Amino acid sequence: MELFTPDFGLIFWMFVAFGVLFLVLWRFAWPMILKSVDERADLIDKGVQYAQNAKEQLENANREAQGYIEQARHKEADILREADKMRTQIIEEARVAAQAEAQKVMDAAKVQIAQQQKQAEAQFRNQVSDFALQIADKVVRGQMADAGRQQALVDSLLTEIEHKN
Amino acid sequence: MKKLIIFLTVVAALLIPVTASAEGEHSEGGLDPKEIIFEHLGDAYGWEVPFDHHHRIPLPVIVWAHDGFHCFSSSHITGGETYVDAGTEFKLAGIDSPYKGKVVEIVDGKEHRPLDISITKNVCAVWITVILVIGLMLWLASFLRKHPYKAPRKGLGGLEVCVTFIYDGVIKSILGPDARRFAPYLMTVFFFILFMNLLGLAVVFPGGANLTGNIAVTLVLSIITFLVTNIFANRHYWKEIFWPDVPLWLKFPLPIMPAIEVFGMFTKPAALTVRLFANMMGGHMIVLVLTLLIFIFSAVNPVAGGFTTVVSVGFSIFMLLIDVLVSFIQAYVFTMLSTIFISLAQEKPHEAHKKGESEAHVIGEEIKDALV
Repeated sequence: MELFTPDFGLIFWMFVAFGVLFLVLWRFAWPMILKSVDERADLIDKGVQYAQNAKEQLENANREAQGYIEQARHKEADILREADKMRTQIIEEARVAAQAEAQKVMDAAKVQIAQQQKQAEAQFRNQVSDFALQIADKVVRGQMADAGRQQALVDSLLTEIEHKN
Repeated sequence: MKKLIIFLTVVAALLIPVTASAEGEHSEGGLDPKEIIFEHLGDAYGWEVPFDHHHRIPLPVIVWAHDGFHCFSSSHITGGETYVDAGTEFKLAGIDSPYKGKVVEIVDGKEHRPLDISITKNVCAVWITVILVIGLMLWLASFLRKHPYKAPRKGLGGLEVCVTFIYDGVIKSILGPDARRFAPYLMTVFFFILFMNLLGLAVVFPGGANLTGNIAVTLVLSIITFLVTNIFANRHYWKEIFWPDVPLWLKFPLPIMPAIEVFGMFTKPAALTVRLFANMMGGHMIVLVLTLLIFIFSAVNPVAGGFTTVVSVGFSIFMLLIDVLVSFIQAYVFTMLSTIFISLAQEKPHEAHKKGESEAHVIGEEIKDALV
């Protein structure tokens, strides 16, 4: 069978051809190709790593930002509540202060009024007593012109005193 | 429209043998399928051109005859003539000669086979493949040099996919840290075989040579793998062959295991040779037989020939498509097996030993610490 008997010429040329092919590719093609394939694979790996890191960082940042926002919201609510409390407190205080003041003013006014009333009463009494004395003086002077009447008056007064005691 | 074209093609195919038999009624030539098949599978001193049985592309015949070196064009002898070059007669040996179809010199009326390193059809195809592979790889390399970190597209992209497929998928995963050392050889083998396979499937000129279906080609490739495996083998590999870890009686008075191991060294490349050779030759042979069926049946009955044409062409196309797949698979398998053989010769002593050593080392350190 000629198919199973290798031909010397072909074997010879195969060695030569394969040698040439291998040397040329080994010298000029494979180093470049394998190097770039490896480098590109590394680059892609690094890129994926980088992207994953970036994603993680972004997620962290987002979470942080969310945290800050939440915190800020809490603070805002706190501040508002505080302000509200303070407002009511201020109003309450103001009301209380105003009431106290008003009370004071009113008390002072009452005291003054009472005083003035007393004064007025005293003055009025003085005047009334003055008037009464003057009237009495005039009446007495008119009636006491004669001695009999003077005697009668003394008597009546003495009886009065007697009755009182 | 498409259906109509297909229909007309089938009808034409059915009619061809009928008309051919009507025309060729007088040309009485016995059809010898075996001869035709072996002619197509074998080598030749000239390259057929399509549709012409007489003209061949002439190739140089280079021989070392009894009186020295001769070189002449194959066109002088392919017709069966005797050619006299510098006083020595050459011709192609006839069918009844032991050197059938090869160049012989005639000395004193007797045929002698000279040392023949002619550029035959197969040798020419080998060189075409070499030029093709070199061209493609230099193209890829220059692209990668000009555009670092950029993946090529289209044709070059496909080529690069093959490169990474073999480099990452086979070489790196099997050889590990040694990958860079053996990758040039293995990648060269892969692409060389792949393009030889594919060129063999093409029917006309730059292709058509049944290269990887020729045992000389596969033999050379597996010899190279054998050489690479054994030249770069480490001490452990040789120890495993000549003094394996087996009971003493298996290796001492009678070296049974070493004999088996040495035998194994040679069966591996032999398996490589035959696997690639048989697969590719089988594919070529099936297509040839299917094609010849047309002529065999046409000779019996033109109508039967017509039907056979349709069936055979359909099957041939199917087989050729499968062969494209097989071309790739066989190149892949050859490369993978070569890689495995090389990696077996690179294997370090068993991991268990190392582990044991390191454990002993750790224990020793601990004892030392305790003493201090």
